[in-house]
Amino acid sequence: MSFFAFLGMQYDFQWSVLWTGERGQWLLQGILTTLRLSLTSWVIACALGILSGALRTVPWKPLRLLAAVYVEFFRNVPLLVWLFFWYFGVPQALPRAAQDWLNHHGPEFWSAVAGLSVYHGARISEVIRAGIQSVPKTLLEASVATGLSVLQAYRLIVVPIALRLIVPPATNESLNLLKNSSLALTIGVAELTFMTRQIETYTAKAFEALTAGTLIYLVLCLGIASIMGQVERRFRIPGLIARAGRAEH
Amino acid sequence: MRKIVSLLLGGLVILGLTAAGWAGETTLDKIGRTGVFTVGTRTSSPPFGYINKQNEWGGFSVDLARLVHKAIEKRLNKSIKFELKESTPATRIPLLSSGAVDLIAGTMTDTRPRRDSVDFSLTFFVTGAQFLVKEGSPIRGIQDIAGKRVGAQQGSTNERIIRERVPQAQLVVFPDQPAGFTALVQGRVDTYTNDGIQLYGLKYKAPNPNEWKIVGDFYSYEPYGMAMRKNDSDFRAVVNNALMEALEGGEYFKSYDKWFGPRSETPYPLSDTVKRFLMMQVVPK
Amino acid sequence: MSFDWGVIAGNWKFLIFQGFLGVGAFGGGTLRLAIPAIVLGFLLGVLIGVCRLSPRAWIHYPAVVYVEFFRGVPLVMVIFWFWFLIPQITGQRLPEYAVALTAFVVFEAAYLGEIVRAGIQSVPRGQIEAATATGLTHAQMMLQVILPQAIRNMIPSLVTQFIVLFKDTSLASIIGMMDLTKAAQTVSQREIRPFEMFLFIAVVYWLCTYSMSRVSRWLEVRMTPERAPAKRAAVRSAA
Repeated sequence: MSFFAFLGMQYDFQWSVLWTGERGQWLLQGILTTLRLSLTSWVIACALGILSGALRTVPWKPLRLLAAVYVEFFRNVPLLVWLFFWYFGVPQALPRAAQDWLNHHGPEFWSAVAGLSVYHGARISEVIRAGIQSVPKTLLEASVATGLSVLQAYRLIVVPIALRLIVPPATNESLNLLKNSSLALTIGVAELTFMTRQIETYTAKAFEALTAGTLIYLVLCLGIASIMGQVERRFRIPGLIARAGRAEH
Repeated sequence: MRKIVSLLLGGLVILGLTAAGWAGETTLDKIGRTGVFTVGTRTSSPPFGYINKQNEWGGFSVDLARLVHKAIEKRLNKSIKFELKESTPATRIPLLSSGAVDLIAGTMTDTRPRRDSVDFSLTFFVTGAQFLVKEGSPIRGIQDIAGKRVGAQQGSTNERIIRERVPQAQLVVFPDQPAGFTALVQGRVDTYTNDGIQLYGLKYKAPNPNEWKIVGDFYSYEPYGMAMRKNDSDFRAVVNNALMEALEGGEYFKSYDKWFGPRSETPYPLSDTVKRFLMMQVVPK
Repeated sequence: MSFDWGVIAGNWKFLIFQGFLGVGAFGGGTLRLAIPAIVLGFLLGVLIGVCRLSPRAWIHYPAVVYVEFFRGVPLVMVIFWFWFLIPQITGQRLPEYAVALTAFVVFEAAYLGEIVRAGIQSVPRGQIEAATATGLTHAQMMLQVILPQAIRNMIPSLVTQFIVLFKDTSLASIIGMMDLTKAAQTVSQREIRPFEMFLFIAVVYWLCTYSMSRVSRWLEVRMTPERAPAKRAAVRSAA
């Protein structure tokens, strides 16, 4: 690498460490695990988010309170703490049989799923609540006036409209979930960041390994973002340009 | 969209060009210039490097590194600050090569592939990999781990050996020792593997030491060395001479007695063979 | 199932003083990291946000790349990058604290920059026209007319992002900085009490973030006294 010599730097680039031998497979396995982990958690998080987000707008206080406690507690504590809690802490509180069962069914992966989906469920819930609240209340009243029950009005009118309003913030939140799945490396899930580190420890080529990991995340995130951009354009409700609140990462 | 991607790629390449390589300064120059000697060690590998009940940082390797520190001060003829930094198997080589630490004094095994990236001091401890299990576990050694959930540390020699020798074992790899050991205690893995002496350290530091058992013959040979940046023979000589003097003058054995002696928290007698091997590394004055 | 809450009583000093405040032999500290990260991240974020709105391409595009890059990469990855790069480039040893701080400032500035941009764009166009008409330069207009109004509009999103940043500081434990999370890990591995330890720090984190969000709500109401009801009604009917 004589090119770097004039900069007074000594670093011997060996990009081949990324694909020689078993290491090409490591990266691929890492990508697959990241996708599987993110997708599983995303489905559960959406279910939790929709449920608790809707519950927070119903006119019955105990339910609202329950949903609020869930959302406020889980989204306000760092995900990393939740991951440690689910993986290391929870077995202590489970009966022996449940622990044994879990231990033979990939506890790392499922603890990560639990951590990611409960945490992001609470955050998605906030996105959905903002979406539902941005649907004019008169619409709900009008629906009920036409003879629909409150539940039907939610299911048929309010939720579908809110869903279309929240495509952009929900996309943001989904990408956050994908990026946050990288924290699962701390509890031994062999996802993409983990594999990047693994290549680094086996070859001592940190620069190459980190570059590969970074590029893969970028391609995944920008790819999903551009697809969702098209979805957003398709489902945009004409006349409604106001976005239902921007989600944080 | 395409514009953004190409801009990003461009940015990354520029980043790649500006990154790389500390200028060719020797470690002793660097220590002299900055006035700090930074040692990478462990926070949770009793008794080599760990944080004790009083939440203080120390251990056998740290003691030896302090002897090296004294030798450096003598050599540079000025007072140098001694600093500890956490290094795990997964992070220690990058930490060293990036210049974030000057010496790794923890539980690092000297191996031939590692000698491609770092230089090692003489061997200061000899052990081999074994298994830590709960009392009553059916695991008795490496022959029993196929199909079992085996915890290991990312970047350790044991992890590689298990991956190659017993691919049927379900290896669960953690970034650091606390995670691996907690996983064992919580029943998340059936056994945790590491160098025997470290397992003794974990056992004796556990809340109920009698619950834990170290099993199996050594399935690997793990000579511990201190690691430093490659091709820096002056610094290496300082480190090696400090270790030789410690062996010769008896400070090594005093420290050994403190951490591994019969009255210590991790009794681990020094066998005659190992003692002879350690002493034979001491070259004449 | 058995719990021993005594482990908290025995170690809370280490967790709070060393882990949370960063007072002690290990440096680090959640609060000691979070406060400068928030302040510096915000300043850099303002710069990025303003640059992104610049009409000049050579200022605008680098800011776009900056934002899109850091929003497309996990924070852990960014921390690992800085951890590896800083010593390589500078030849200086840096404590984990400095590495973590740099990584947080750089990373969060991308998110904060977007909030700043949205805040600036929320300022009515007439203000820009009026400022230009009075003969202010672009920089003067930004500093004296637009930003003060924009910041008021962004306070809710800003505080939300500060809360996120505060939670993100837990990731500094991955590179070995002694923050609240790392302190809890250290104690939990020694005492084998992960349930109690992690639940305890979850409550500590929660108390901080929840009070931050209360302050944000209070600020929001307080800073928009005259506009609050009227403005919202107007927005709704426009939508």
